[in-house]
Amino acid sequence: MAMSVQSTEGKRALGSTSDENSVVLKSSSTPVRVNGQSSLQKEIKKETRLGISTKKDEDFGKWYSEVCRCGDMLDYYDIKGCYILKPPAVKVWGILRAFFDAEIEKMGVEEYYFPLFVSPSCLEKEKDHIKGFSPEVAWVTRAGESELSIPIAVRPTSETVIYPYFSKWIRGHRDLPLKINQWVNVVRWEFSDPIPFIRSREFLWQEGHTAFATKTEADKEVFDILQIYSDIYEKLLAVPVIKGIKSENEKFAGGLYTATVEAFIPSSGRGIQAATSHSLGQNFAEIFGISFENKERKLEKKETKRSLVWQNSWGISTRSIGVMVMTHGDDKGLVFPPLVAPVQVVVIPVPFNGFDVNIIYEACEAVKSTLLAAGIRAKSDNRDTYACGWKYADWEQKGVPLRIEIGPRDLAKNQVRIVRRDNGAKADLPRGDLIEQVKDMLGKIQQSLFDAAKRGKDACTQKVENWDDFMEALSQKKLILAPWCDEVEVEKLVKERTKTETGAGAKTLCTPLEQPDLNEDTLCFASGKPAKKWSYWGRSY
Amino acid sequence: MVASLRLPSLTSLLYPAATRYPATLRRTVCLRNRTASGFATAPSSTAASPETKSDANRLRSEQAVTPRSQDFNAWYLDVIASAELADYGPVRGTMVIRPYGYAIWEAIQEYLNVKFKETGHSNMYFPQFIPYSFIEKEASHVEGFSPELALVTVGGGNELEEKLVVRPTSETIVNHMFTQWIHSYRDLPLMINQWANVTRWEMRTKPFIRTLEFLWQEGHTAHATPEEAEKEAKQMIKIYTRFAFEQTAIPVIAGRKSKLETFAGADITYTIEAMMGDRKALQAGTSHNLGQNFSRAFGTQFQDENGERQHVWQTSWAVSTRFVGGIIMTHGDDTGLMLPPKIAPIQVVIVPIWKKDTEKTGVLSAASSVKEVLQAAGVRVKLDDTSERTAGWKFNFWEMKGVPIRIEIGPRDVSSNCVVVSRRDVPGKAGKVFGISMEPSTLVAYVKEKLDEIQSSLLEKAVSFRDSNIVDVNSYEELKAAISSGKWARGPWSASDTDEQRVKEETGATIRCFPFEQTRGTKICLMTGNPAEEVAIFAKSY
Repeated sequence: MAMSVQSTEGKRALGSTSDENSVVLKSSSTPVRVNGQSSLQKEIKKETRLGISTKKDEDFGKWYSEVCRCGDMLDYYDIKGCYILKPPAVKVWGILRAFFDAEIEKMGVEEYYFPLFVSPSCLEKEKDHIKGFSPEVAWVTRAGESELSIPIAVRPTSETVIYPYFSKWIRGHRDLPLKINQWVNVVRWEFSDPIPFIRSREFLWQEGHTAFATKTEADKEVFDILQIYSDIYEKLLAVPVIKGIKSENEKFAGGLYTATVEAFIPSSGRGIQAATSHSLGQNFAEIFGISFENKERKLEKKETKRSLVWQNSWGISTRSIGVMVMTHGDDKGLVFPPLVAPVQVVVIPVPFNGFDVNIIYEACEAVKSTLLAAGIRAKSDNRDTYACGWKYADWEQKGVPLRIEIGPRDLAKNQVRIVRRDNGAKADLPRGDLIEQVKDMLGKIQQSLFDAAKRGKDACTQKVENWDDFMEALSQKKLILAPWCDEVEVEKLVKERTKTETGAGAKTLCTPLEQPDLNEDTLCFASGKPAKKWSYWGRSY
Repeated sequence: MVASLRLPSLTSLLYPAATRYPATLRRTVCLRNRTASGFATAPSSTAASPETKSDANRLRSEQAVTPRSQDFNAWYLDVIASAELADYGPVRGTMVIRPYGYAIWEAIQEYLNVKFKETGHSNMYFPQFIPYSFIEKEASHVEGFSPELALVTVGGGNELEEKLVVRPTSETIVNHMFTQWIHSYRDLPLMINQWANVTRWEMRTKPFIRTLEFLWQEGHTAHATPEEAEKEAKQMIKIYTRFAFEQTAIPVIAGRKSKLETFAGADITYTIEAMMGDRKALQAGTSHNLGQNFSRAFGTQFQDENGERQHVWQTSWAVSTRFVGGIIMTHGDDTGLMLPPKIAPIQVVIVPIWKKDTEKTGVLSAASSVKEVLQAAGVRVKLDDTSERTAGWKFNFWEMKGVPIRIEIGPRDVSSNCVVVSRRDVPGKAGKVFGISMEPSTLVAYVKEKLDEIQSSLLEKAVSFRDSNIVDVNSYEELKAAISSGKWARGPWSASDTDEQRVKEETGATIRCFPFEQTRGTKICLMTGNPAEEVAIFAKSY
């Protein structure tokens, strides 16, 4: 994928949009030149070649990587599966982080930083856990000029780094609950083809690790955290998600159960694990010796008074940014939900021959300042080497929710022209109540992006009750809700039977917390045995 | 491990033959086999570490720290353990940063991040792995860093085709990308920053000060002219200097590094040097004018306004978690940590005092309303209302943790509607003021004023300590005398690199910087007797 994108770089075509034409009609604007040099003119022409060359519904994979690059979200790098996160992506990540930090602070979670390096003896302690991660570990074997006598792992996740400290820090009841979080990079040397944000060998995430005296407290937290993840997707990123429980096959290695939020990408017909909150039970506590003096416990013979803690771990990664891009982007490029948009409003001057351009620039600066003062992330684009049509396309590609255009006519009427990125709707707004109007429009865009995504997901969701319907729905790239007997072997079999030459088979995405009614005589769509639950199935990232 | 080794499974990768790794070696890497109390002993899996057993053993007791005046190093490690700033990591030379220590780092981040944005920098994130071939491109860079590089050679069970460096700093990868992003003068200046972890395989480590992995920010910029790059490098060292003075009350000396001490790959390195409580120097932040060294090595060019191709002029600059160590070692005293109010995670601790249960409710409710009042006024405040510890224990504990102000509230205070306010930086009765009214506006104004006073008093104290420990010297003999008495030596210098090397070998001191603030008058080099342009500061350093 990386290769193909690089080769399309030279073929970027002008993102010709209806707005382009309207601009010409509106003010017959011409590019403003600094000094009219011909070399400069040439450069402008060359620079105008921007835009996404692939349509979203023609070649989704190619479209996606073009949008990521043209929208200035990331860049490719010489090491496969590693990407450079550019300022807009880092900004979105910062917004999600601030939101999540504020939420978990209320729950009493504290920030730590644990080292990147894991010694093999710690990494290997939990057998299922290491079986799950060992194929993906990157090893430091050399330091300076010498070979290390024992290689050291780069963290794929930090359970095994952190839990020895839990065992050290937790002594008595008073030390519980212990709730920690860290924002770090992790490395998983995956084999499958990398996809920007979605599957990369190094990614950024937060990982929370908590320990409780009772299972009840731990269980409650699993779902409290899940709700925050759901809010991040639905409220901030405007992406609808399904809250559910992972199957035995798909749960976190070494844990008790995994709660998950799952998103669905209609364009590719694939589900995507959006964030997970794991109940680890007492398994890690036993292996790492994390126990506390339990005064409430009645002693049986030969028993010590110490009890094992109940643990959770939970994480959300930069993958969330990719899910947002895939969900809202269109043929013109990125579309940011206003709440996470690095720039919410861009103000563009529309010069007119014979009209003093500085007056327009000043008006743009004034509007920008007004918006900034009202807490709106605004930017004015006064680059005089680009035509305004080019700028429109540029900022559309970068997904800015609202564009304000100011030309001589607008100045005369003391108004601005405002254009929505999500549906192209235009309006003239009086300068007087601009802030209120802009805030209102940003709110509407946020809602309408979510509604559209929800409609898209719902339209792709299909309930099936037998194998033939399942296969049919799968071929139509559906998100499938089916009654299931909840047997590990059956899921494996379904995966096997739906494997294609190019990709992995279908699997369970989750068993939704919200269960439709299940009649007693309903049978599993795959095995024909009595069904125990409704689960979502599909191909996934 | 030999490079050609095939790696069929994890187990065989780690222990291809039991005899290759003595059991003792294998055991030491696992944390749980170490002592569990206090600050666990520093693991020593692969090389000797300075946190020797004796250091660790001193860290056993939960609260009392070794007096600073008695043993500075032991005191430092005790403070980090007792104040719960950090813990040793599971791999030798690494560190776990605990919430109290991390909050100080967050305060540093918050301040600097705003300053970086105000000066036009954007945050990005570059990958942690760098192909070894990138590092090799700039000759002096690879020479400077190669002894400290951690190399990943195995990933996903396979030997990698090209070994990857775990980033020690990102100039090379940044330039690799700049080359693709910069085409014309209109793409300049390009000014970015990243907050990231970096790895340098150091042999002698010390928590916060020198660890295998540390957190930092690294800024990287590209400019069209050498003048702009120079201006940027100086601007950033100024931001660091202001930060040090105003936020952390550390009176750093800003200046230029000598050729020998310049960053590997830079033309000029600017630095801020801080004097620690043991009078050793700590390099607390650096800003490099990279000239065209990296842009030439990587071919980072732009087309100027006349259509000519030119190499860009660059800078890079960084501050790391080492700064936290600097704060500890500048202000701490025999009792423990002493935090400047502006970066203290907790600025005010409230300790309620009661003897009889009948008093408890009144005292606690007064204490929590005081807490709310201060919190609403933007003061970072903690109410220590646990009943498991005595008030005396709590006083000691929060003093050791370095909280700038303690408010005591007892039954008598409740009835008189007053509180007692104690300053951490003024020990004993002298720092204690009785009868401060609980009336919100009075109390808030008083507390804020005291916090400001403490902040400036810590700086004043540090300035006078610094100044009384810098000796002006005019000969090598004087320099040696100053250094051997543990002080910094400041004297005119225009001698050779060889002479500088000789000073280092004979006295253990290095040129910390040529300070921006120079004395007037003619100068004669203390070593050679030749005319000198500048004075240099010599000191032993961390």
